[in-house]
Formats: sequence, structure tokens, C-alpha cells
Amino acid sequence: MPLIGALPQPITSAPLVFFVYLVLILLIGSALASVLLRNTLYGIGAFAASMVLVALLYLAIAPFLLVAVQLLVFTTVSAALLIGLLRATIGLTASSVGRLSPEWVIGAAVSAVMFALLAVVLGATAWPVRACCALPLSLGSTLINDYPVAFAVLALILGSASIGTGLLIAAPTLRSPRGGGSTTARGARR
Amino acid sequence: MSAGLNLLLVASAALFAVGVLGVVTRRSAVVMLLGTQFMFIAGALVFVAFARFGLGAARANAGATMALFIGAVSVAELAVGLAMAALIYREHRSFALDADRG
Repeated sequence: MPLIGALPQPITSAPLVFFVYLVLILLIGSALASVLLRNTLYGIGAFAASMVLVALLYLAIAPFLLVAVQLLVFTTVSAALLIGLLRATIGLTASSVGRLSPEWVIGAAVSAVMFALLAVVLGATAWPVRACCALPLSLGSTLINDYPVAFAVLALILGSASIGTGLLIAAPTLRSPRGGGSTTARGARR
Repeated sequence: MSAGLNLLLVASAALFAVGVLGVVTRRSAVVMLLGTQFMFIAGALVFVAFARFGLGAARANAGATMALFIGAVSVAELAVGLAMAALIYREHRSFALDADRG
């Protein structure tokens, strides 16, 4: 009996191979754009696009629950955090594009398509909770039953991160020695 | 023409290199955080690729589980990092990490 069995075969279906190559090329391109663009807002947009493309790549090679979590949790949370940072610091200026203009209609259509995609993924995902009696629980049960320690450590990390983030946001800042000052300082820290 | 382990490993390496490029060449804390996110994604992609095409295929769900863990940790890192970036902006009115050098 061989020590190492036969490895799984690579994807050879032409449409799927084309899809994987296309997604990978777009992923590298959007990652480069995210890192190299000078406009922070555009960089964040390119980063969100990269996260969506990673979810699309997982669609071809990974269980569907990973696709759903990547798309619904990681992408939306990351984008929300980054947009929240911009709102709290630089500020998001109001758009000069008037409503019902072509740009507005195209943006609304793209947003509607993305929302519909999220709704479809949300509805089609077999979440690792027994909401219904016959849901397949392969990845969810692996996550919860085979890795309980890692799951607990992850919960600890996420809890610590949320507490630390709240403390950092609420902390008073030091007065800058170069005269820059802070916007929310309530006196220098002792 | 096929898509297998080699392709995904090369793509993962390229993604990691893009992340390193962002961390090394840019001064903005936000862009540096995005670079670290790409490095996390590259690591998760390697786990998923080995689980799908490599020896990990015997327990395919393990790779996806690792990707879930990596994603959650990267989001936690992003949250703390963005809070620190907000503090830097409050002090220096800029996201540049070397803003206090004048």
C-alpha cells in the first residue's frame, strides 16, 4: 500500500479553468490597485473587490460555507471598518453627481445586484446551526466538533480585539509636541 | 490547460508579494493594513489549495476551517489596526506613520 495516495486531479473543465484564471488575474490586479492607488477611498474599494474575488475563487475550489462567510462576513466587516475609519477621520464628502443621472442609476443597479447576490448566498448557505432538521453540516461540524480549542481561542481573540478597539477609540490622545493638537483630547495623559 | 495546485500556489505567492509591496513601500497606515490583509488572504489561499488539490484532500474541510480561522483573525487585526490608525490621524492629521519626523 503506497504511503501517499493519488492526489486529486486539477480542474480540467474549460469554462471552470477560464473562470479560475480570470478571477486570479482580476484578484492580483485589484490587489495591486488597492496598494498602489493614492486615493484611500479608491484603495478601499479595490480591497473590497479583492475580497469579493477571493470569495468567487473559493466558489470553484472550496466548500460553499467558506464562500458565504468570505462574502457575507469578512468582506462586509472589513469594508465597514474601513469606511467607518474614513468617516471618523478624513470624512466622506457628499457626491456632486445629481440623482437620476446616469452615474447614479448605474451605481444603484450595481448595488442592487450586489445586494441580490448577498441575499442569494445568504439563503443558499447551509449555516452550521440546526435551523432545519436536514441541513448538511460538514464544514460547520468540522469547525465546531474537531477544533473546539481553536474555536474558543478564536472567540477570545475576537473578544479581545473588540475590547481593545473600543479602548483605543475612546482613549484621549496626547497633545502633539509639534503643535498639531488632537481633535478629541481632554488633556495630556499622565 | 488546467488549474491545479501549482497555479494557486503561484497566485498565492503573488498576492503575498503584493501585500509585502504595500507594507514596505507605502507610508500610510491604512495601506499597510491592507497589505497585511493580502498576506493573510495569501496564507488562507494556500491552505484551501492544499486541501483541494494536495495531500490535505483526505480531510478537505480542514483547509476551509483554517481559512475561516485566518479570516477571523485578520478581521480582528484589521479592527485593532484601524483604531490605531485613527489615533495616528488624531495626532498628526495624517495616516503617514512617519508624520512626526517633519
